[in-house]
Amino acid sequence: MVWPMTAVIQIEGLRKTFRTFRGGARVALNGFDMTVEAGQVHGFLGPNGSGKTTTLRTLLGLVRADDGHMSILGQRAPEALPAVAPRVGAIVESPQFFGNFTGRRTLQLLARAGGVPAERVDAVLAQVGLRDRAGERVKAYSLGMKQRLAVASALLKQPELLILDEPANGLDPAGIREMRDLMRELSAAGITVLVSSHILAEIQLICDHVTIISRGQRVATGPVAAVLSGFDKGEYRVRVGDLDRAAGVLTTAGLPVTRNDDHLVVADVADSAWISEQLGQRGMWVTELTPITPDLESVFLQLTAAAPGPSVPRQVDDVVQPGPIDLGVQP
Amino acid sequence: MNLALAEFSRLAARRFVLLMTMLLVAAFGVTAATTVAGSHEPTTAEWERAEQEVRFAEARIEQLRQDCERRQVSPTFCDAYVEREPRIEDYLFGVFVFSQEITDLVYFMIAFLALFAFLVAASFVGAELTSGGMTNLLLWRPQRVTVLGTKLGTVLAAVLALSAVASVLYIGAFYAIAEVTGVPGDLDGEFWRDLVLSVTRGLGLVLFAAAIGFGAATLGRHTAAALGLIATYAIVWEVGARIVFEVVELGRPDQYMLTSYIGAWMAGEVSFYDRFACTDSFGSLCQSQYEVTWVHAGAVFAILLAAIVGGAFATFRHRDLA
Ligand SMILES: Nc1ncnc2c1ncn2[C@@H]1O[C@H](COP(=O)(O)OP(=O)(O)OP(=O)(O)O)[C@@H](O)[C@H]1O
Ligand SMILES: [Mg+2]
Repeated sequence: MVWPMTAVIQIEGLRKTFRTFRGGARVALNGFDMTVEAGQVHGFLGPNGSGKTTTLRTLLGLVRADDGHMSILGQRAPEALPAVAPRVGAIVESPQFFGNFTGRRTLQLLARAGGVPAERVDAVLAQVGLRDRAGERVKAYSLGMKQRLAVASALLKQPELLILDEPANGLDPAGIREMRDLMRELSAAGITVLVSSHILAEIQLICDHVTIISRGQRVATGPVAAVLSGFDKGEYRVRVGDLDRAAGVLTTAGLPVTRNDDHLVVADVADSAWISEQLGQRGMWVTELTPITPDLESVFLQLTAAAPGPSVPRQVDDVVQPGPIDLGVQP
Repeated sequence: MNLALAEFSRLAARRFVLLMTMLLVAAFGVTAATTVAGSHEPTTAEWERAEQEVRFAEARIEQLRQDCERRQVSPTFCDAYVEREPRIEDYLFGVFVFSQEITDLVYFMIAFLALFAFLVAASFVGAELTSGGMTNLLLWRPQRVTVLGTKLGTVLAAVLALSAVASVLYIGAFYAIAEVTGVPGDLDGEFWRDLVLSVTRGLGLVLFAAAIGFGAATLGRHTAAALGLIATYAIVWEVGARIVFEVVELGRPDQYMLTSYIGAWMAGEVSFYDRFACTDSFGSLCQSQYEVTWVHAGAVFAILLAAIVGGAFATFRHRDLA
């Protein structure tokens, strides 16, 4: 790692194996790399158990790495964490709060422990929509309200870097939208955000960059558009009356065709007009001709091969063992 | 300091602490109530009879002394030989005599306070470790030793303050009972000095219990770990090992028992019997007793603290936190 760092988060070759008393070992991180630059809203994706939370825990000093280098806000982690902690707001996997305190008291105590002015408490409570419920005990909060409180606690310090592990967990649709707006606002205010989530459509809406992890290794990273375009195969969905005949025509023309129940998927299409022309000449009128652009979900499933099989329930670790996939988008 | 204040609020807001405090108050209340029920202000007749008994006793002791001195020997020997001065309290029955009973009552109070301190300290850190509250705090203050140390310091200070207040109220309550429905007894400077010393030692024991509970719960990452440690120790060592020592005919089993040191700490010194000390000598001059003093006890406590609390801090520095 070259010092001084300019990236807000830089992780190189991070390794972590959890060992159990009985001698069992589980490799959680296997040489993981990640770079988050200042000002990004960076999505952190991966199947269950792929190592997202472990990465964030390690970065924040809760778990000791076996190997690797990390820096946060330009300083070595975890050594410099006490110095940078006031500038980093973080929630890691649904934090637990003491149930007998009210939401406000919880934040007041944290503010006190972290030397944050008390006025921030009501400001962040309002920001996450808990203003009217701030006087109630945390144990009486719903899952989504606890999650909001967690986000509020991360915002309390007015951080330069916000690390959110599944912030949308338990939020209702309106809450998810509010979270999205909140992150946009924060990003507009110049805050760097690293957010892990399983709601891929959401990530696609919020994030400008993503890193995808599978089995403790990075399988893709870069701007969202670049990651997606790496998976653009020029496919089109074609609907016509006689699917079999149309498939024959297009196959003869040398295009890879997949026959589905009510439509065809044609790949390697350079010019869609050519398809309607070819089929039209033979008296087949195209009722639909739409480009299939990859979305984050399909890319994610392809990269991690976590798509469910026909009938066997997929097991959590049945995901791609990452090979050297080069999408040409790595920084 | 801010961290300590935050910790203190957390401690004070725990239901468990409230419950334990109430139990403590209840236990003391019951003790006081039974004392009140078992005591009455001596009637004039009782006083007169007791005074008479004292006079008889004084006469008898005087007789003994004269006998002793007549058969020469030194006066100091005779002082030691005759019984202590008779006191009127010795001849009042069903009357609570503060000067005579308060020491045992203080021991009883210290035992309760120590149990309280152990449980509260263990649950204070144990609950935070299992609930993830500790993780939360460490995200704010990524200084593990500071955070854990503040927690320990807070609970020790709180337990000490509560115990000190409880001691004053407790002793005060029994003094009041004695004034109202018993007799205070002989309350000279020495008596108060001893009482203060007992209470001070007791508070030390209470702090020791709190620290051990805290350390054990931290080491085991759970409140139950501390309870398990105590239960295991009591059954395996105090009972099990004692039986084994008995079977293998070990001479001084008591010196391996924590309870002996607790006793020595509180009493200043305890004597135990060494069953093999005099087997190969000729009787009378052989000393078959050995003493465990509060200094020994202090050393044992220090070693245990270093192992359990020191170990807790050492492992907590590097441990992976869920
Ligand atoms: N404390 C632990 N002890 C043992 N194994 C662990 C521990 N924490 C995590 N693991 C293992 O490490 C791997 C990575 O877990 P991690 O929590 O980082 O996954 P994740 O990507 O956050 O998953 P999710 O999407 O379900 O939150 C998993 O196989 C998990 O079982
Ligand atoms: Mg996770």
